[in-house]
Parts: sequence; structure tokens; C-alpha cells
Amino acid sequence: MDDPIMVEVKDLHFSRGNTDIFRGVDLQIPLGKITAIMGPSGTGKTTLLKLIGGQLVPDRGQVLIDGQDVHQLSRRSLFKLRRRMGMLFQSGALFSDLDVFENVAFPLRVHTELPNAMVRDIVLMKLQAVGLRGARHLMPSELSGGMARRVALARAVALDPDLVLYDEPFVGQDPISMGVLVQLIKKVNQALGLTAVMVSHDIKETLSIADYVYIIADGKVMAHGTPQTLDVNDDAHVKQFVHGEPDGPVPFHYPAPDFFDDILAPAGQFS
Amino acid sequence: MMRHIHALGRATLDIVSSIGRAGLFLIQSIVCLPSREGFHLWVRQMHFVGVMSGAIVLVSGLFIGMVLALQGFTILVGFGADEALGQMVVLSLVRELAPVVAALLFAGRAGSALTAEIGLMKATEQLTSMEMIGVDPLRRIVAPRLWAGFVSLPILTVMFAVVGIWGGYLVGVDWLGVYEGSYWSNMQDSVDFVDDVLNGMIKSLVFGLVVTWIAVFQGYDLIPTSEGISRATTRTVVYASLAVLGLDFVLTALMFGDLG
Repeated sequence: MDDPIMVEVKDLHFSRGNTDIFRGVDLQIPLGKITAIMGPSGTGKTTLLKLIGGQLVPDRGQVLIDGQDVHQLSRRSLFKLRRRMGMLFQSGALFSDLDVFENVAFPLRVHTELPNAMVRDIVLMKLQAVGLRGARHLMPSELSGGMARRVALARAVALDPDLVLYDEPFVGQDPISMGVLVQLIKKVNQALGLTAVMVSHDIKETLSIADYVYIIADGKVMAHGTPQTLDVNDDAHVKQFVHGEPDGPVPFHYPAPDFFDDILAPAGQFS
Repeated sequence: MMRHIHALGRATLDIVSSIGRAGLFLIQSIVCLPSREGFHLWVRQMHFVGVMSGAIVLVSGLFIGMVLALQGFTILVGFGADEALGQMVVLSLVRELAPVVAALLFAGRAGSALTAEIGLMKATEQLTSMEMIGVDPLRRIVAPRLWAGFVSLPILTVMFAVVGIWGGYLVGVDWLGVYEGSYWSNMQDSVDFVDDVLNGMIKSLVFGLVVTWIAVFQGYDLIPTSEGISRATTRTVVYASLAVLGLDFVLTALMFGDLG
């Protein structure tokens, strides 16, 4: 990768209780590109996003955004840095006491001194981009899952951030919503020249829009490259994941005693 | 044996760290510069936390005043001292019952609602998304609620006491026939502004802060699942009630311990 680097993750270690989530992760997110972080469920992809956003603190290692070590910043400086970031949450995470318009206007109202008329124009432009200008008066509880995620996307880019973090943007979407979101993320990214980090395990959709992909498993980066190079990668882990094979290095069964012994266990020895 | 010592040590560490987190949480949320936006949020919370608790406080105050007069009368009349009913009603209310019962009702009505509201915001990632937008939820969500609780409980306590005194009047004077003049004049003679009214107000300020602090901290610190929210809501009511009753004893001992 020769592009300038926006986010750099160096030797990241993180554990929860006695479980190691990351054991030395190194990543480089290039400026102005969509970088996908993929991997099987439970590998800590969302945790990685939270570490990049400074919501969690690693046991060891660094996350540098534009050269600033996120975890060394004061609370105030961290919040200042976050103004340059947008994040699309898996659940949308819209504020339930505000309507669609006010949700999108929220970052503008708290971080800018723009007059109301200008806030209105910007919000309507963002809502128009996600196709929900007509839904501006609805409350979050009145939106479908796909609509909520589109509103959340409009809110994430309301301040025209430099970096957008997408947490599983395609999970639980019907095919139409999924197609709409894929196109939207791609278009928004191109139009605004954003740097995007997308965490996902929806292979087809993610590979169709990502410029670069990291695959994470067992607490480490297992493979990385462009979607084309990963598609022809021979590594058994990568093949299983990219081609969606049910069994392979990642076993189908959760570790358990022998099935035969388990079934024939005498009464009183059931566990 | 070692296991028990281990468990005791673990529980102690958990409690100490929880108290530490709660203390930092209080300082970070309460120390902030006033702003116009903050004022609007505070007004909205005053409505939710204070005004919406008004009805329950008024009704309870009325009944407690009425019961107090009825019970007081049956005792006092045996000594031929039913004239002192006003004094008994007002001192019981102003010194003890109004601050304590209003705080207990407040913990049940507003405290549990605050915990559930903040907990649900946490469970639906609203707090996290606010942080990612670069807005501190301690300032925007927690601080207005804390200040609203701190300000509204003393007001609710005054309303409780006033309605209670009126309830006592209805039962004592209108129903049981205590002489109206002695009901009011005994009351007026016996109440000292600093010893009674001000001390009662100090109690309710302390209770307002403690109950709201417990409620918002439990909401902010809970495990974001449905079970976590239900447990935290219960903890709010239990901890807040115990804290109110315990602190009431301490404050009463400090305020009235040397009067006798």
C-alpha cells in the first residue's frame, strides 16, 4: 500500500477477563479508501472498532489516527478528535427522544454555531442523500431497521467527517435495504472523499465495495490484501471464510466431549 | 476457608471500586459550566423528575397528614393535650416525615425511571453514539438529571409538608373538633425556622443529591441487557431507600442530638 495512512494500529493486545481478544494486531488504514475488517463472528471486530474510536483501552499497543495516539489523549482532546469521526452503529443507535431531523441535526447543533436555516439545509441535503427527506418528522420507533440505519448514516456524515467507522452495516437487512446501503456507503464515500473502516462478515457485499481487506481470526490478522487477491488466496482459513465453507480450520462444532459417550452417559452422570 | 477469604476480598474490592467509580462519576458530571443548552435540558428534566412526581407526593402528603392527626389526637386526648395537635403534626412533618417520605417516594417514582431510561440508552448504544459524536454523555444526559433531582426534591418536600399540615387540619379541626385557633397558634409558636424548617430542607437537599446520584449511576454503570436493567432498577430503589433512612438518622443525630 503506497497511499498515505490515516489510521495505524500497532501491536494491539486486548483481553476481556481471561480471554485474549487480540494478540498483536497490526493494521494500516489508507486515506480516502474503504478498508474492510472481516472475520468470523466473535473474533472481536466490533471491539477493534471501539479500540480505534477510543471507547476501549488496549492492554498494549497503539492506535494512531493522523499520528495522534488515541489512548494517550485527554478526555477533552479525545472528544475533539471524535468530531472528525463518524460512526455507524449496528443498531443505528438513534436518539429515541429526537425525531429523524433532530437526530441528523444533533452533531451540527452541538459542534457548530450555524444558524438554524443553514442547519436545516444541511440536514435536508443529508436526508435527501439517503432518500429519507420525507421521513424527517418520524420518530426512531416508527422507522424500519433499514431506514434507521440510513438515518444513522446521514447523522454519521452530518459534519463531513474525515473518518467513518461502520459497524456491521449490512446485518439483518432485507435484500433491498442491503443493496441500498451498499450503494449508499459507496456513493457517500466517493462523494465526500472519506476514509472508511468497515467491520463486517457479509462477504459478497463487503468485497464489492472495499478497496482493501483485513481478515482477523484467533486474535491476529490472518490475511490482508485487495478483494481480488483474497479471492484466490490458498490459505485454508481464508478459503473457508471467503467461500463460506461450513467446516474447516474454524470447526462447525463448539468443543464438546465425544458425541457417542455423551448420548450413552448413564443417568446421574448427565452434565 | 481460603475460598471464603478470597470471596470476601473480591467483594470488598468490588465495593471499593464501585464507590470510587461513583465518586468520579459524580464529580465529572456535576462540575460543568452552565450553558443555555444545559439550562434547556435541565428544565426538561425538572418537568420529568419534579413535576411528574408532584401528584404522588401531594396525595401521599395529604394522607400522611390526615393519619398523623388521627393517631396524634387519640394519644393526646388521653392526656387532655389535644390542643397540641398542630405542634405534633407540624414538627413530625417538617423535621422527619416530609423529607424522608418524599425522598422514598421520589426514589420509587423518579429514581427507578431515571435508572431505566439511562440504562436503556446504554443498551441501545445511544450513550456510545453520543460519545462518538464527541458529546460527553455525563454532561448532556447525566448532569441535567442530577441537578433536576437536587433542586426538585426540596420543592416536593415543601409541597408534601404543606399538604400534610392541611390534611392534619381537615382531620383534627374539621372532623375531630380540635379548636382551630390552638391548632394554628401552637404550630406557629413551636416551629423554629432554623432548627426545624432549615434542617428539614438540608435533609431533603442531601436526600435529593444522594437518591438522584444513585439512580443515574446505576443506570450508567449497569450491564446493558434486559436483566441488567431490571436489576439496576431494583438496586436503585433499595440502595436509595436505605441511604435515605441511614442518612436521616445521621443527620437527625447531628441536628437534634444536642437539643434535648
